Order: sequence, then C-alpha cells, then structure tokens
Amino acid sequence: MKKRILIVDDDPNILDYLESLFTDNGYETAVAEDAKEGLTKAGQIKPDLITLDIEMPGEWGPRFYRHMTQDDDLKNIPVIVISGLSGNAYAIPKAVASIKKPFDREQLLKIVKETIG
Amino acid sequence: MFKKILFATSATPASDHAARVAFNIAKSYDAHLDIFHVLGVPSRGYSQVVVDVKTREKVDVDDDYMAWVKEEVKTYYSHYLKENLKFDIHVTIGFPGREILRQAKDTGPDLILLGGSTGSDEDSVYKKSMAGTTMQKVAKASKCPVLIVNRPAASFWGGLSNITFGTDFSEASDKAFDFAVKVAKALDCEINVFHAIDIFPVSTGKLLSQDDLEQKIREAYRMIRSRYEPRLKQLKNYAMEVWEGIPFIEIVKYARDNHSDLIILAHHSRKNQTDEGILGSNVEQVIVRAGCPVISVNH
Repeated sequence: MKKRILIVDDDPNILDYLESLFTDNGYETAVAEDAKEGLTKAGQIKPDLITLDIEMPGEWGPRFYRHMTQDDDLKNIPVIVISGLSGNAYAIPKAVASIKKPFDREQLLKIVKETIG
Repeated sequence: MFKKILFATSATPASDHAARVAFNIAKSYDAHLDIFHVLGVPSRGYSQVVVDVKTREKVDVDDDYMAWVKEEVKTYYSHYLKENLKFDIHVTIGFPGREILRQAKDTGPDLILLGGSTGSDEDSVYKKSMAGTTMQKVAKASKCPVLIVNRPAASFWGGLSNITFGTDFSEASDKAFDFAVKVAKALDCEINVFHAIDIFPVSTGKLLSQDDLEQKIREAYRMIRSRYEPRLKQLKNYAMEVWEGIPFIEIVKYARDNHSDLIILAHHSRKNQTDEGILGSNVEQVIVRAGCPVISVNH
C-alpha cells in the first residue's frame, strides 16, 4: 500500500511542486492550504507523514502541530517543516527535519524515505 | 488589549526575530506600532556626535541624518510595512534604555516589545556606554508590560492561544497574574498557572526528601487554588501545574511541552524585590531560554 503524505502550505506553487515530487516517487498525496484544512484532512486520511509550512494565513504551523498532537490519532505522525523563515529548525522541536526553502528535492526525498520508507 | 505597541529596535538582524513578533501582533490585533530606533549613543554629554549602531561610523547627527536613518528603518522593514499597518517611526540618539522609557512615557503604549541582546561582542555600540542591558533597564522601570523575544526560536508567533503564567506566589506575581487574566480574557486564551519548586541544594540549603518534596507540591497546588482559582474560573480554559526542579528550566520546559505562545512572569520575585533594578534571576533566565515570547510585568 502506498504511503500517504499530507502537504500543508499556503503557497500553491509549493503545493503543486511537492505533490508532483511525491506522486512521481510513489507516494499518495493530499494537500491543504492552511492549518484548519490541514487538520481536517489529517483527521480524514490519517497520513503517514506531514510536510508543514510555518507562516500561513490564519494559524501558523506550530499551532497546527499543537492541535495535531492533542489528537490521539494524529499525535505521532512525523512532521517535516518546510519553510522560508529563518531559524525554522526551532519552530517545531519534535519535527523529524526542518528544511529551508528553496530546498534540495533529493535531500527532502531522502528524509521522507528514511522516515516512512 | 494591545492597541498601542512600542517596538524598540536596532533595525539590524539582532532585532529580526522580535520584529517578526511585533509586526504580527500589530497585524493580528490591529494595533498601532511605534517603531523606535535609537541610532547611537552620544560620544559625550550633549554631543551630537554618535557612533551609528547600524553603520558603526562616527557621525554628526543633524535633521537630515535623522531623516535618512528614519528612511533606512522604513526600508529595512518594508516587507512588513506594506501590509496596511498603522505605524510611526521614531528615531533618536541617547542611551537606549532611557530613551525607550522616555518614548513610552510620551506615547503611553500598552506593551513595549524588545528583541534580545544586540550581541556580547565588545564593539557593540550600545553596550559600550551603559551598565546592564537595555532589556533589564526597561523591564525594571516600565509602567507597562514588556515583551521580550530573545531567541529566533521565540519568534514563531502565529497568534496567541495558550499562556503559561509562572508564579512564585509573591505580590509581584499577583500583579502579573492580573495582567495574564486580562490577556486571556481579552484574547480568549487558555491559561496555565505554573509553579516550580526549587530543589537545587544551593538555593534551598538542603536536599529535600521525596516526602518533603511531595508535601511542598501539594501545598503549592493548594496555594494556586486559593490564590488564583476564583478568577481562573471566569475563564473558559485553564490548568494548573506544579513541577520540581530548577525553576527557570522547569518553566521553559513546561511552556515548550505545552506549546505555549507566551510566558508571563513578574519582573522580580519575592526574594529580590529590593534589588537595584536587575531582573529576578529566574525571569532573566526564562527570557534568555524561552521558546516563545516572554512578558515581564512590573507594575
């Protein structure tokens, strides 16, 4: 069964890019443009991994993460932070990785593969 | 709640993380932002010759130079300022702590927002000419709460929904509690009242037995209930927690585990109320280490 990745980002270009990148490499994907939609979709599809932007309209990534970890079904889903903000490694300490935009696709795929196979 | 914010900035990368929070608060709560920049410290007395904090050059300050610096500050923050923000930029010369307090007296903000240290390097223009840090001077004398963003880690500010209020049950903490409740009510936040029992033998003079420690924890919970719970009950969502350890570490850990957006503390604890202006050591350490902004409440 294909592993599912939920991409949470307010930038449509990043959503398109990540969706293609993950689909081309054998993953199933779902996208969400903000934290609220992200939480709803995470609850519906129970992804194996989430990529998360930090600065988004409405609630930011760290708030999404807080809500997510308060849900027993979602709290252990690994999160990869992908953000253009400086110092994003500090934003979600329990994230499996923090990647700064613009990012290296091979590096991202390597982290995804190491995390969920 | 936050309608008028005084954001004191060096307009250099040292203030970038504080700027992220300042502009986000202003945007989120439709606040007026006074961006305040002390461009340098006069070389002596009433001299107009200063070392510019940004360029590090000695300059003779006149109106033209002030206007140029103002424009520079505006350019530096242009990314944020285009977002339909209500703001003014003020530029002056002098000792940063004193000038920030003077500006606060003139404009009466609800909140003063400061970044962390401009650096420990010997050639820091501000540090050269003053005893103690700007942060400490402002936090001590300010009539309004002072929000400090010391680390980049503390600047991921996507709004305010979860406050950690740290107390040592002092009168100063009661004042800070009043403010914390006001914020929680106005912004519909969860509030977590937290007390840490100091088990460090150097501070306590002895190593507490586990029985004594657990007795102290029970007493602290009782204290929180009697001192704060009547007012906490007015809020939708609150929690109380007592941990043992080194207080500043425990507060930072608790806020991190709890994903708090904000820590609120009294400026000084019961132990050093008579000290000459320095922040209580726990408050200072929390400010330095916290992964979210910290508000120090003084009055």
